[in-house]
Amino acid sequence: MFQLVLIALFILTLFSATSRDVFFTSYNFTSMAYQIPEVAILSIAVMLSMLTGGIDLSIVAISNAAALIASYIMTHHLNAAGTTPNFWIVAACLIGILVGILCGLVNSILVALLNVTPILATLATMTLFNGIAIGLTNGKSVSGLPEQFLRLGNGTFFGLPTPFVAMIILATLVSFLINRTGLGLKVFLIGTNRKAAQYSAIADRKVIMWTYVISGCLSSIAGLVIASRTSAASPDFGASYILLAIVIVVLGGVNPSGGFGTVSGVVLATMVLQMLSSGFNALRFNQFYYLVAQGSMLIAVMVLNLVLEGRRKSRSIHQSRRT
Amino acid sequence: MNFKRLFRRSETILIFAIIVLSSIIGIKSPSFLSIASIFDIFRSSIVQLIFALGVLIVIVSGGIDISFPTIGIFSGYTAVVLMQRLELNPNSLIVPLVASVIIGVALGAVNALVIAGFGIPTLIATLGTAGIFRGCMLSFVGITFISEIPVGLDNFATADLIRIESPTAPLARLHILIIPITLLTIGISFLLRRTMFGRSVYALGGGSESARRLGISTRRVQAKIYMLVGGLSGFAGILFVSLQRKASPYDLAGSELDVIAAVVLGGASIMGGYGTVFGTVLGVLLINLIKGNLILLGVSSSWQRAAVGVLLLIGITVQAITESKKVRKRRVSTNEEVVA
Amino acid sequence: MRSNDLITTEYGVENIVKSFGGAKALSGVSLSVSGGQIHCIAGENGSGKSTLIKIMSGVHAPDSGLIRLGEKVFSGLSPREAVHEGVQVIFQDFSLLANLTVAENIALPTFISRDSRFINKKDTFNIAKTALELIEFDIDVNLPVAEISIASKQLVAIARATNLDVKMLFMDEPTTALTRKEIARLFKVIEQLKARNVAIVFVSHKIDEIQEICNTITVLRNGEVVADGKMGDFTRNQISQAMLGQDLLETRIAPKLGKSGSNILEVKKLSTRPTFSDISFTIAPGEILGITGLLGSGRTELAEAIFGRYPVDTGEIAVDGKSVALNSSSAALAAGIGYVPPDRLTQGLFLEQSILRNLVAVGINSYRNAWGLLSKKRVKDAGNKWISDLHIKTDNSLNPVTSLSGGNQQRVVLAKWFALDPRLMILNGPTVGVDIGSKREILEIIRDRAQSGMAFLVVSDDIPELMQICHRVLIIKNGKLEREFNEAQMTEDALYKELS
Repeated sequence: MFQLVLIALFILTLFSATSRDVFFTSYNFTSMAYQIPEVAILSIAVMLSMLTGGIDLSIVAISNAAALIASYIMTHHLNAAGTTPNFWIVAACLIGILVGILCGLVNSILVALLNVTPILATLATMTLFNGIAIGLTNGKSVSGLPEQFLRLGNGTFFGLPTPFVAMIILATLVSFLINRTGLGLKVFLIGTNRKAAQYSAIADRKVIMWTYVISGCLSSIAGLVIASRTSAASPDFGASYILLAIVIVVLGGVNPSGGFGTVSGVVLATMVLQMLSSGFNALRFNQFYYLVAQGSMLIAVMVLNLVLEGRRKSRSIHQSRRT
Repeated sequence: MNFKRLFRRSETILIFAIIVLSSIIGIKSPSFLSIASIFDIFRSSIVQLIFALGVLIVIVSGGIDISFPTIGIFSGYTAVVLMQRLELNPNSLIVPLVASVIIGVALGAVNALVIAGFGIPTLIATLGTAGIFRGCMLSFVGITFISEIPVGLDNFATADLIRIESPTAPLARLHILIIPITLLTIGISFLLRRTMFGRSVYALGGGSESARRLGISTRRVQAKIYMLVGGLSGFAGILFVSLQRKASPYDLAGSELDVIAAVVLGGASIMGGYGTVFGTVLGVLLINLIKGNLILLGVSSSWQRAAVGVLLLIGITVQAITESKKVRKRRVSTNEEVVA
Repeated sequence: MRSNDLITTEYGVENIVKSFGGAKALSGVSLSVSGGQIHCIAGENGSGKSTLIKIMSGVHAPDSGLIRLGEKVFSGLSPREAVHEGVQVIFQDFSLLANLTVAENIALPTFISRDSRFINKKDTFNIAKTALELIEFDIDVNLPVAEISIASKQLVAIARATNLDVKMLFMDEPTTALTRKEIARLFKVIEQLKARNVAIVFVSHKIDEIQEICNTITVLRNGEVVADGKMGDFTRNQISQAMLGQDLLETRIAPKLGKSGSNILEVKKLSTRPTFSDISFTIAPGEILGITGLLGSGRTELAEAIFGRYPVDTGEIAVDGKSVALNSSSAALAAGIGYVPPDRLTQGLFLEQSILRNLVAVGINSYRNAWGLLSKKRVKDAGNKWISDLHIKTDNSLNPVTSLSGGNQQRVVLAKWFALDPRLMILNGPTVGVDIGSKREILEIIRDRAQSGMAFLVVSDDIPELMQICHRVLIIKNGKLEREFNEAQMTEDALYKELS
């Protein structure tokens, strides 16, 4: 965690120094603040599924599906003046979230009840959800969303960008969930050793189901945020977000085999990656360098983790000699 | 011949499914039941089959690779670009083929380094390398869409072994690739079943620690696996460029799902240790049968991906249910073995 | 006690030191075996014998020391080199490949030692058949190993290791799943191998077997050689004492049964064929009932069935007189039944988590406060209580549970269940891998709880342990309860005889 803060500060200073006019401006920081939330929420969703030792590859598909359905409902009820009654906006959002929960439920059933490996299960659901979205819209995107909705994605709430506030609220809720509730402790234990959890009479299947449902719910909220910010919903948006989300959670200190992770780490890592992207942009690097950076960071952090874990294990066994 | 066991095998179910599906399509559209269709299915399956053979090897070893389409297009696209930049003989077929395979092996070596060398879990490792490969390709090789590919490659797209023209029936073309692809498929099957390397792949899937204790050098086997898959992907990539008659660095993205679906449907277990070439071939056939004939089945083509998703879902659900039945049957507990 | 006979060394190790992290597994171990000799390594769990085997077969590299295989000397070797030199191991977990057939499992090491590049089906079949004939075991070699029984797996592992190419053979506890007849057959094979000049190392903690088959012996304790020499020079007690390091306090400590109330547990005709059938027994309050049998006899499955983790086809289980349907471990917990699994590291503990989290792992919901949230105070209090009640040696409950010794870790597993005050505790191998001092203390903990009325079902193959603590002992064979021994009938010899 501490290293992460250092990295964040390092990147901040680096880019601010090399590209002061473009990077270190309030405009840039504000625009970052609008783009961070959707990625952060998606990353928190991945973190949840990773904590139990699994993974949810369908987050982007779910977020697109939710965004599409909500957008469709909203644009369907556009009246002549180009606005939509607030009722329908709220209803559309709620239905979008419901879609997310249902998708999460499908994942839950596959992973927790049918015991399908999470990688395979979420690859399949990703294909399915994505496929349904493409089928329903014929591959086209929905645009022209009502103004009130756009104000959410591009407006402010007590001075802070609304999506940013939403992210903080969600992050706090999830952090509370995993650190202060029984469910959270069970999640950590199951991720550490599912067998031992079963032998401790923990209802592992129920807990895993909850994580995928909540993950689906978070993904759908992210989708709504994206739609609101970009004023469009498409079945193919954000295909590269999966790699980004996984880089973020790994950088944020989540153990890919389960059992350990913090929400604050994930949020901080999101900011680091966003600064990196923004910095590359400011320095006029072509956008694909960012892709290379993501891939390299992912592998570098994993290697580093393996090395550190080896050292940590030897230290704790060393302690046992003293007791 | 144990008939009960024969019936339970996933290959049998697949053959059954293929026959049933073909019949349904045939009834709805009799023009389907023609030689032209069979040849067409082969043509549309070529690239996927080569990728699938590679993915099969990885999955049997207990891993998963999602970087293979990226390696494929990187190799194919770069081969074409190199031919143009270095002004190599545009009539040659061998040059781009060899170049693409070599590039594929080199990229596969990166995977080998990360997975066998550093021991990083395969999904995350290949997710990362895919990003690096794609980013490097688009940054350093180019982003231009090349519609005029070298003549040799272009002509190869229409290199048919059998060509049946008839005024009443659609053109039936069997591409010459059927010979090398069949040989390749038989070769991989032989590799997996009859060589030490192949059995080591299965051993790895059965338990890497147990395999290691037997004296199998697991890291070396893993490295070979990913380099072999890289080479196969490079081969598939250049064939894709040729058959499509264009080279675009944005192609093939997202196609990993179809290939993995085909391999899993073909009976390979994602946990490793199980899977056959025959099953993979059937899986590829089934996927292409459905994808290519959705319209004939009354479904618009924009539902292709959803169809693959449904198939994959059915496949893994069936696998999961049979697995849990097997566990219940095997009522001798195996967690008695306490290792001191 | 060291013998001064120096046999011409053909295989052995000199001054092997090996540590894992900071813990020393072997400190300066030397031993030698020649071809045609059966050498025993005796030691308790945790003495380092498994590590020694792994070093000699290349699975681990030693930190320092030499390995001598025939003419060649190594400072470290790979499994492949070991196989090349003719070293074969029968590991405790068999190390078979479940997805391959019996034939392939048996033949693969041969192909590896020959550096074969191609595998021929007929060769595979013949190699397997020959190896199986040697140990007189008949099985369909085309069966996938995943589908055969544990005893068969052990025999397949033995066949794999004893085929023609072996020069040095290690056997790590090779008889845990075998009947007396099968053990006799195995010993015949070992004698044949001895005649073929193979160097054989037989690792075991079963002193009877050691005395029967071995020519020479090395005793390991805490990673050091504490005795070695000719088998004939040692008495049974001397071996036992060397292994344990002290006079084992083996006096009976089972508490006197008070006036019994109604039975806490009643099992009536419990059956899940073919694993176990027609099991019936009762346990009274404060009673400690033991169950023992060979590996694969169904003892663990039965225990797990009463804990709700193994399906029950027919029969009835009643707790405190009320019939219960135990179809999940949560149901068992609700009925007041707890379970300590046999493999502490993979089944009982959350290794990367703190001691505190391990202590509250069962019944997490009971540590909530009025708002439904996890109460930090309740958790901390519970942690401190059990650390002191069960004398868990640690200075901070937030330390990772891996910082504890085996005995203390086992106490954590016990504590997390005691915290829920169960009516019945099922313990499967309660003192496996625990040092000798802790063994006794854990048995005392069990006795104390029994005295307050808790019922215990102890599944174990440690006869001395059963004799110290149990009021009655049941013998299970091939899924059926064969005999029951009460306090008077329980003698070591009688129990050992049953285990054949």
